[in-house]
Amino acid sequence: MTLRFGYGTNGFANHRLTDALDVIAELGYAGVALTLDHAHLDPYAPDVKDQVARTARLLAERELAVVVETGARYLLDPRRKHAPTFLHDDASRRVDFLKRAIDIAEGLGAEAVSFWAGVRPPHVSAEVAWQLLAEGCAEVVGYAAERGVAAGFEPEPGMLVETLADWFRLRELVGADLKLTLDIGHCRANEPADVAECVRIAGPHLVNVQIDDMRRGVHEHLEFGAGEIDFPPVLRALADTGYRGLVAVELPRHSHAAPDVAARSLSFLRAAQWLGDALHRLRTEPAAIATLLPAARRGVGRAAAEDARVRLLHAAAPSRDEAAELYRYGDNDEKRAVLLACPDPDLLRDALRSNDTRLVAAALGPGARDLPDAEWRQGVLKSVFMGLPLSGVDGLASRADAELGRMLAALRREREAAGRTMPDDAVDLLERLH
Amino acid sequence: MRIFDPHIHMTSRTTDDYERMAAAGVRALVEPAFWLGQPRTNPGSFTDYFDALIGWEPFRASQYGIAHHCTIALNPKEANDPRCREVLAVLPRYLAKDRVVAVGETGYDSMTPEEDEVFAAQLELAREFGLPALVHTPHRDKVVGTRRSLDVVKESGIDPGLVVLDHLNEPTVGEVAGSGCWMGFSIYPDTKMSPDRMVVILREYGLERMLVNSAADWGKSDPLLTLRTGEAMLAAGFSDDDVDRVLWRNPVEFYGQSGRLDLDETDTAATFEGNSILRGGS
Repeated sequence: MTLRFGYGTNGFANHRLTDALDVIAELGYAGVALTLDHAHLDPYAPDVKDQVARTARLLAERELAVVVETGARYLLDPRRKHAPTFLHDDASRRVDFLKRAIDIAEGLGAEAVSFWAGVRPPHVSAEVAWQLLAEGCAEVVGYAAERGVAAGFEPEPGMLVETLADWFRLRELVGADLKLTLDIGHCRANEPADVAECVRIAGPHLVNVQIDDMRRGVHEHLEFGAGEIDFPPVLRALADTGYRGLVAVELPRHSHAAPDVAARSLSFLRAAQWLGDALHRLRTEPAAIATLLPAARRGVGRAAAEDARVRLLHAAAPSRDEAAELYRYGDNDEKRAVLLACPDPDLLRDALRSNDTRLVAAALGPGARDLPDAEWRQGVLKSVFMGLPLSGVDGLASRADAELGRMLAALRREREAAGRTMPDDAVDLLERLH
Repeated sequence: MRIFDPHIHMTSRTTDDYERMAAAGVRALVEPAFWLGQPRTNPGSFTDYFDALIGWEPFRASQYGIAHHCTIALNPKEANDPRCREVLAVLPRYLAKDRVVAVGETGYDSMTPEEDEVFAAQLELAREFGLPALVHTPHRDKVVGTRRSLDVVKESGIDPGLVVLDHLNEPTVGEVAGSGCWMGFSIYPDTKMSPDRMVVILREYGLERMLVNSAADWGKSDPLLTLRTGEAMLAAGFSDDDVDRVLWRNPVEFYGQSGRLDLDETDTAATFEGNSILRGGS
């Protein structure tokens, strides 16, 4: 099942909304998470109705779906970030804002409107805070339900409701019309369960998903790959929940490079989804490795292809014979992956017989430990002969011996006789062995 | 003039041909898997050939700045040999490769029941892998063979826009024109189709879904007849844009449906598996 990826307009804060929609649509996103803000469809603008109609038309023309986000920092109060919240004395302004957001969501045909609790002020007790929150949410959720708008409440690190467990507690108080917005990055930063498990727990209640990378214990929205989340199984788990709403990239601090970041993010997500699906398929159908291995570059891109292939091979865990077949029918990129993931000595020997530098290099990785010393020395000698750097030879320092030194010295004499030189790293090794 | 030869068997051609083709404007080609003159007697003979189509030949082509892609299939002639049919089992491995842009050549040679079976099975593989199919129409009894091929295509349920019937001529083009399938023409020095006859067909049937190839192989053939056809079109009053459509944009559109055409990539590696095409160096 294909997930529908979107991008948050709060990551395009330096763009006009129209321009942001253009860029996001051109890149191939299916929708936007529209954060209502002073420069992006200000709900307090005198002509907001016209703006909503115009934005709805812009979205339709670009075939973009939309969810409405309400996390603007200084929209209600120019001095206090995010204030007032449900937990402040003037919470009615927050409720009024959220009702406006719901009206706008209705006008845009948005799939959901999203909101959060706020940080508990020091002078408000936890008990009172929960009571305020439940009352405010009940009003907002009721208003949304009357208008047929899905109300997604988002656990946010540092706020009164910051985990899925907190969200379930709030739902007990507010009722089943309270739905869930989940930020995948928050799961890594903040939840006790692993991210894929969080997604499974959240699944039945989801109306909105935000996605970004994050590190344990640090609430900082990072580009994909800069944090600690292993996305392929997470995306697969998300698709398996049956969730069909937007999965929108949430990188509010990357507006300075928004077009590039958005392009990279979509490539990353598509690759991660391909790999997640492929790994899932191998669980029940390990023989599918025969066609997944050659398709990997198309699925994840050239730069990530080798790592993906190695991972697919580990997941498929082919027998010795199966690995030999994958090697036999593989092109040289596939052969390299087999050498790295399933370093059977017979395959390493085949690779060392070849004249392809990439195969020889792969054959001298950690898998070469099982090669007898004589073959290993021949492999190292060949790699020097071919001009490969010795830094790629696994365990060189401990395994290089006097016999290898003798062979390298002989090669050096031959080279010198022909007026040619030895690579510096081979000379260093040779001198160390003498 | 930029030329994409959508059907040429470079395995059987010399490096001089690559040089002449590049000089004539050929920037891309598709090499369909076919028979090699000498009959094969076992599946291993096919797989080594397939390996060359995805390995050595793209490397050789790249040395002249030509993007090489291929199609993979058991050809109809050898589909009749039970020793060769075993290769069907390994086709999926090859159909998943990056530079494989269609299933082919499939179709009929002598219209035997074995050919029926292999043709239908390979159209099913095309569906499974989301690939176009290249259908060879027979040299003998061509009109009947073409009609029957169209029937098999229809029965298979594959989108006709994903199918090309190749080696067409005046008696067969009309059948295919109304089917929604693409029409392929192999321009040969003496047989099949000539540049001037091709121009007449393009006048009558238009440029849509038309592919012109040299089908050059191990027989008497000429890899530059694509260029000659372009020249004949210009001489007959077709525009540069018309020529570009037939000789470049049409094949890009047809094989582009695979999602695997890679025309930007210029892999300028000096060697393939340590071997170069130079002599005296290694």
